[in-house]
Amino acid sequence: MNLRKPLILTVVASALVGSLAISSVSASAAGDQGVSDSEIVLGMQLPQTGAASPGYNKVDDAARAYFDYVNSKGGVNGRNIKLVVKDDTYKAGLTITSASKLINEDKIFAFFGSVGTQTHVSVIKDINRRKIPDIFVNSGFSGFYTDPKKYPTTFGGLGTYTVEAKILGKYLKDKYSDKKIGVLYQSDDFGRNALAGFATAGLKFEAKKTSASFIAGTQGSIGLASQISQLKANGVDIVIIAAVSSATAVAYATAAQLGYKPSKWAVISVGADATTFQTILGSKGVPAATSAAMLAGTISASHAPAAGEADDVYVKAFKKINDDFNKGPDKRWDNNILQGMNIAYLATEALMGVGKDLTRAKLISYLENNGSKLSSAALAPLGYSKSTHEAFTGFWIGQYDATTLLAPIDGKRVVYTTDSGSGAVTVSNYKRPAIADDALPKVA
Amino acid sequence: MTSFLTAFFSGTAQGAIYALVSLGLVLVWRGAGVVNFAQMGQAMFTTYIASQLIQHGYSYWSAFIVALVCGAALGAIVDLGLMRPLTSRKNSKLLNSQSMRTTIPVIASLGILGVLKALAGIFWAGEERGFPSPVAPNAIKIGQTNLAITGFDLFVIGVVFLTLVLTTIFFTRTGMGLAMRASALNPEVTRLSGIKVGSVRTLGWAISGTASSLAGLLVTPRTNLSPNTLDLLLIVGFTAAVVGGLSSLMGCVLGGFILGYVISFVNVYSAPENVFIAILIFLLLALFIRPQGILGSKEVRRV
Amino acid sequence: MSKGIKPVRLKYKVIGGRSTLLSVALFLFFILLSKQFDAYNQSQLTNIATLLIAVFSITLLTGASGQISLGQGAIMAVGGYGSALLVTRLGLSMWLAFVLAIFISALFGLFLGLAAARLSGPYLAGTTLVMALAIPSIAVRFESFFSGDVGLSVDYGTPPTWLSNLLGEISIEQWSLYVVLPFTAIALFAVLNLSNTRAGRTWRAVRDNEVSAALAGINIGRTKVVVFVCASALAGLSGALYGFRGLVAPSVYPTDLSLTLLTAAVIGGLRSVGGAIFGTFAIVFLPDLIEKITKNFNVPETIGNYLPSLTIGILLLLTVILNPRGAAGALEHIRHRRKH
Repeated sequence: MNLRKPLILTVVASALVGSLAISSVSASAAGDQGVSDSEIVLGMQLPQTGAASPGYNKVDDAARAYFDYVNSKGGVNGRNIKLVVKDDTYKAGLTITSASKLINEDKIFAFFGSVGTQTHVSVIKDINRRKIPDIFVNSGFSGFYTDPKKYPTTFGGLGTYTVEAKILGKYLKDKYSDKKIGVLYQSDDFGRNALAGFATAGLKFEAKKTSASFIAGTQGSIGLASQISQLKANGVDIVIIAAVSSATAVAYATAAQLGYKPSKWAVISVGADATTFQTILGSKGVPAATSAAMLAGTISASHAPAAGEADDVYVKAFKKINDDFNKGPDKRWDNNILQGMNIAYLATEALMGVGKDLTRAKLISYLENNGSKLSSAALAPLGYSKSTHEAFTGFWIGQYDATTLLAPIDGKRVVYTTDSGSGAVTVSNYKRPAIADDALPKVA
Repeated sequence: MTSFLTAFFSGTAQGAIYALVSLGLVLVWRGAGVVNFAQMGQAMFTTYIASQLIQHGYSYWSAFIVALVCGAALGAIVDLGLMRPLTSRKNSKLLNSQSMRTTIPVIASLGILGVLKALAGIFWAGEERGFPSPVAPNAIKIGQTNLAITGFDLFVIGVVFLTLVLTTIFFTRTGMGLAMRASALNPEVTRLSGIKVGSVRTLGWAISGTASSLAGLLVTPRTNLSPNTLDLLLIVGFTAAVVGGLSSLMGCVLGGFILGYVISFVNVYSAPENVFIAILIFLLLALFIRPQGILGSKEVRRV
Repeated sequence: MSKGIKPVRLKYKVIGGRSTLLSVALFLFFILLSKQFDAYNQSQLTNIATLLIAVFSITLLTGASGQISLGQGAIMAVGGYGSALLVTRLGLSMWLAFVLAIFISALFGLFLGLAAARLSGPYLAGTTLVMALAIPSIAVRFESFFSGDVGLSVDYGTPPTWLSNLLGEISIEQWSLYVVLPFTAIALFAVLNLSNTRAGRTWRAVRDNEVSAALAGINIGRTKVVVFVCASALAGLSGALYGFRGLVAPSVYPTDLSLTLLTAAVIGGLRSVGGAIFGTFAIVFLPDLIEKITKNFNVPETIGNYLPSLTIGILLLLTVILNPRGAAGALEHIRHRRKH
């Protein structure tokens, strides 16, 4: 083996491969990139493919649909919003590379709506160090938002898992104090964050008795059945699920196979997407009517109106825009599309609010000072302030009816509010402003 | 006691699947001396084909048959299109070395795995979907108590034993099967005795493709189908095959069930987070204590 | 790495001149290339310089000694966690942590090698694959120590002022490259020396025929363990540098990473250091290249997202079928023909 002879030549060949991939070299311009007189460029990272993608891969198309609608109406202060999306397949190694691409090659003004905790954690420090706004992150991990000194440019786009688990946990604990409550969670950051929230609400679980888990992403190919059997054997009456929607569907199917019928299921909102649930079970040969019946009675929480609330003014407006502007491969209306549209609406509102003279620093300070006044489809305000950057601070508890619609329990919607710390859960008195006729946000 | 029964039954049910996966691996190993890392990629691909047919209104069983035939075809294609040209390459400097002759096919099979996954992603958008089961997956009851084992699990166990019996008969009673064993043990002598070693090998790949396709069809009802979900099964199936003995059909089935119990008991008595590390420890122990596998014979181990 | 090849202990003669020259050349080549690049491609160049070290480990392991590993990503994780824990828990300097990561992963490689020396071919491939799956899961299992999925946030920090004074303003991307490159150059130096000394010849003898190597008086088991130690030291160093891009966590070192590294080594040529460089360039830049092409053809995102892995898979298959010695082998073949 002669190692040295071809070395120089291959190095040259490598350089050729490299230079093919190079775009024009440009000196880094001073000032804020990504904003011109005619355009604002936003960047989003999410799993479009791979095990973690189902459902969530619709968020980008929904957001883009709303931005396209805004652009068709003249954009924000005459600027069109362009959304550049990068698939990171939910692998942090790739997230780091694609973040660099968004920053340096696509020259984005801000990160917007990035999906995923364990991927976003790999880039959040770098994004903040570069003082790039990182707005409406689609992760409920409270660690991103509760210490703005650590991550000054990062703002949430989902209520934190802790807030949701506290509200849901308190509700279940109060209502079913005589029942045995158990949990099935995926053993990752999402599942553990939810567990911490339940613990704050006073719901503690005991391993092998009232608590079952599975490895995230395996969706039951390893031992989900035996974990659920343990819950069954211990007579758990109420099962809370903290897992992604596709795993929720497998859990329901497995429990049904084992003849396990807890009197109530409760599912954390990110795992309670009815469309994903029914699609998965449908391809398992479960008719839509049966899967709807399986879901019926399940308790869940939401910060926004349910996707199925056809009369809601925001749902109506967003649905129309989705029909007209969504160019994605799967534009079926559901929670994910609603969430994508809603954060796009909020981002538009914030960009309008900053005004013509748009800079990164101004956007960040606008969100910090005026964020809590921004309105959207959500039934709770954003929690943004100088001391926290967590998003929706309230959730309402609902129950799926026979048509897979999440409806308020007893017909009356009560929105509860709390924080990601140890604060109490109280009833919110927030009144959501209506959406304008042209479905564009209005800034005073 | 309930925990024990839970672990036992779900271990049996899972073990049957693992047995099928390791059976597929062993069939190729015996026939061609290659561990096929693309096996579950092939299974994933054929299960998607079956799923696609079912979604277009074909019956479960017609889709089942088509998937098995596709599995056989895919196995044969891998051999004819890739493995055979690879091994027949005589003048390559790289393949002349002993260790590289076993290493290069492994790399080739990884290439196939990557291509199949990417193609599945392109054809079916990588969307995660479920897969129906042929028999009602309801728990078996004794009196009023549900056992942690379903009718579908019993069906799987039945299929695995049927496959085992059929392959054993094939290898011991039919001329083709005997030729296959002979060519695995000594291709040169077999060739001299007038047997077409090449077609015998291809047949081995086809049978293995069918077996893994079957494994794909039988495991997906319990989990979901996506380009990646079956990867884990290959790793478990490989461990099962090594534990039982890569050269022994009976051994690999035994290994499959043992792995089923190991995973299930770790799951119930320890925690799911410990499963992967338990598999690794178990594999290392097996390799140290009995490297040829429980039922494997020392001579045949080609390492 | 430096420890594994310490000339005195192993009694191998270190030849200096030419490999020093080539290592310096590689260093300068990367620096010059980076001057032509925009910031994104500078960061890609850093990726190449980092992953190259891990690909070198495969060049040693598989190319020179014939042992296959599908678990180099897991060893990278060992190096990554080792260095990140030293920095975050003990407050060590990054540079010291990188050096210690080499020792930690070499030690890990020693244990691995003791187990692996008994295995070869598919057995080794499968066992290392199981390892690739199991090792990162330890981080989730012992969450309080390893921080679970959220992982340990680490980065290359900021350039020292004396360097900024010397070179002018240094961007984050440039600084990352400056941190990684010296290690890459040292790794190249080490690999070149190892391959061309008695050690390398011993390894090749074991690779080509274990029986005759044993007859020639080579201790097969010990040789294999030594290779594993060296290769693990390289992979661990690469893993530490890779983690300091931003995060050390299980999802930074997935099973795919191990397979990607192997692909790079095979495409470039398993037995060639130059091939390793070419292969690493190819796998890092191919996705960008494909994205650039597909942009012009309006390929739907559902297809475009899978094209890089499809192309790389096909490239791997073609390499194995048509030219198992990879790009470097093809190049040599052409040069050989021209001479005659």
